[in-house]
This record gives sequence, structure tokens and C-alpha cells, in this order.
Amino acid sequence: MTDITIHMPLNDLCRSTGISQEVIVEVVEYGIATPLTGDTFSEWVFDLESTHWIKKAIKLNQQLQIDWVATAMVIELMRKKQQLEIENNQLKVMLSRLL
Amino acid sequence: MEFKDYYQILGVDENADLKEIKKAYRKLALKFHPDMNAEAGAEEKLKQVAEAYEVLKDDIKRAEYNDIKRYGLGANQGFEAPPGWQPSGEFASGNSSSSADFSDFFNSLFSGGKSGYKDSGQQEPDFFKGSDLDMEVPIFLEESVAGVTKTLEYLVPVFDGRHIQQIKKSIKVKIPQGIADGERMRVKGQGAPSQVIPDKKATNSGTIDDQKALDGDLFLHIHLVPHPLFDIQGINLLLTVPLFPWEAVLGTKMEVPTLNGKIILNIPPNSRSGNKLRVKGKGLKIKNSQGDLLATIKIDIPPSTTSETQKLWEQLAEVEQYNPRKDWSNES
Repeated sequence: MTDITIHMPLNDLCRSTGISQEVIVEVVEYGIATPLTGDTFSEWVFDLESTHWIKKAIKLNQQLQIDWVATAMVIELMRKKQQLEIENNQLKVMLSRLL
Repeated sequence: MEFKDYYQILGVDENADLKEIKKAYRKLALKFHPDMNAEAGAEEKLKQVAEAYEVLKDDIKRAEYNDIKRYGLGANQGFEAPPGWQPSGEFASGNSSSSADFSDFFNSLFSGGKSGYKDSGQQEPDFFKGSDLDMEVPIFLEESVAGVTKTLEYLVPVFDGRHIQQIKKSIKVKIPQGIADGERMRVKGQGAPSQVIPDKKATNSGTIDDQKALDGDLFLHIHLVPHPLFDIQGINLLLTVPLFPWEAVLGTKMEVPTLNGKIILNIPPNSRSGNKLRVKGKGLKIKNSQGDLLATIKIDIPPSTTSETQKLWEQLAEVEQYNPRKDWSNES
């Protein structure tokens, strides 16, 4: 049986993404993600939803060569789109039960 | 191994300058980015484009690639690096692509060390970081409520320094009780394994623990499979309760299903379609919160009538004064 976790310490995130702590701090400053706990940078721990969006932001930033302001905006729109798609699918199912 | 024509992949001339190469890359990266293009194969095309750009944007790599291209191999011929070829061993860019993201062709020309540590000020290890893997895990609502142990099978890319092989892997994971739709879990060290950097084989000073620490992780994304009866809203369980018109008017007591067996539900008289009845404590239990069951009334009429029921409906129509379309009277 393998161990699972729902958290990602900053060090692990840096190692996972190959990105420096400074870049992750920048990503947080742009509001793309918020650490779950940790008073100092080195103690930061993220939940896996934040981790997912940080990784996506880094990929978008690199692959599409867009700056962090644009990346933060794209991520915010993608989050909203995902949320609306989930709600839309749930409402469709609920509506079909009522018809 | 297939020769890759990076100029053709980016759609640029061999004499294209960096500006043209960058422009072509940006256009194709947008076109094939998986967040913008859901077509099958788009991600693979993006990888090819990224690989081509990785080489052509870098003067040294581009010169090495041009030498190889001039070596005389056409695009459709099998490719082997020339005898005595020495790769540069440099991944010049600051991005997080590892050699495992690129083709065998790329790795045969440019295999070398890039671990992602160069920008971080940390000591560069003797190993490639194994890539993280993502997996969608569908589970049934009942499994979410009780918790479940699942056997997951997936393919892991293993890079041997020249080739990438997909190795089948199987692990058991315990999905905890109360996991919600859309939640993510991290299975540490179960992604792609780390690899010893080829040019450090002779002087490798890292330990097995150092290498294990660089194995990629497996990230699980939980999806609840739609249930035939129930929907989920936060921690509440939603159930649609179909009623005969007379049950809705007269009220009734009936058995309704929950996730823990059947309960008796009191339907009050004059219930209307869409009315919601709350049964406390019969929803989902997530962490320390206990949800409720929300039963929504749906009035259903029999699909056909007999002569006897037809008469009864006609009698009702004669005596009933209620007008469901009274709001329309001022509209016409």
C-alpha cells in the first residue's frame, strides 16, 4: 500500500517543477495560489489544488511565453471556466431528473 | 530512430532568424496548447514544437543540429548519431523541460544534465528528476462515503539515456472516507523514476536515497461517477422524489432510499413540484461535517388513462377553480 498526501511543501514543489523558490513566491504574489500554512517562505505548504494551478501557470508562462500578469489572468479565467463547467454539468443532470 | 526536421516542424526557413523562429513557435504553441486545443494529438504536437524551439532558439544547439542535418540524412531515413558524435550536454534554457519530455532523436543529440536546480541556487544532483504523472480516478459515491482501496494501473515513462520506454506499473492506494468530487491526492515517488545523469556515471557520488528523492510523484484527480439516484451539493445529498398528483395533494408517507438504507419520508398535503424536504443528518459526512438529504418533489402523471380514470379527471376539472395561468391574463 502506498502513502498518499494532500499537501505539497514548497521544497517539494520546487523540486517537482524545477522552479526556484523565488519564482514560486512571485506566482503567489500574483494571486495565482495561496499557501495553506507557513509563516516564512521556507515553511510554506500548499494544498494540491493550488499546486495544480501553480504547475499550470508555470507551464503557460514558459510554453506560451507570456508574462506573469497575463498568466495570472489566464489562470483566473480558467478556474472560473472549470467551476462553471462543473456547475453546468451538475445542473444538466439535476434538470434531466426533474423532466 | 526517426530524423526530426525542426525547421519543418516550426514551418520556418533554414535561414530564419531568431525573431521568425520565436514568432512561429508562439503561434504553434497557442494552436496546440492542450488548454486551448482538445483534439487528440495536440499535446504531442506541442511537445514536438517545444522540442524544435528548444534547439533552434539556441545558437549552439542550432549549429550542432545544422551539422547533423548536413551530415546527409533525409527526413524519412532512419537516424543514428554520427560516429564520434559528442553531445553538448547543456540544456541551455531555464525552462522545466526534462530530456524525458523530448524525443529519442533529441536525446541522442543533446542528452545531458538538466535537473531544474540551476536556477534555484541548490546543489545540482547527479540525477535527472523523474517527471510527475497525472491520473483521473473515477469512484462511485458509495466508495467515497465508505473509503476504498483501489488498484491503479498506469504507464510510466522510463528514460535510459537514449530511449524512452513506457513501463506498466500497478500500485494500491487507499482513497480515504469522505473524499469529494474534484479533490486531488499526491502519491509520493510513484511517478516516473529518476535517472542517473549519463556523464556523471563515472563520478556519481549521490546515494540511492538521493536518487529516490527525485522520483516523480503521481497526482490523482478524483471524479465521482454520476449516481443513478443521487446528486451531490456540497455535503448534502439530493434526491428527486416522483409523486402521483393525488399523493402530492393528499400527502403521504413513503419509503425513500438514502446511502445508509431506506427511511420513511412524510410528504405533506398540497406539496408542489420543486418543493424541497430536508431530512437532517442523512447526507454525506465529510471530515467533521454532516450533510442532509434534500428531497425534491417531482409530480408525475400516469402516461395513459382508462375510461374510469378519465371520468375522475373530468370531474376534477369541473370542480377545481385554480388557474395555473392566472398571470397570463394581463399579458395578451
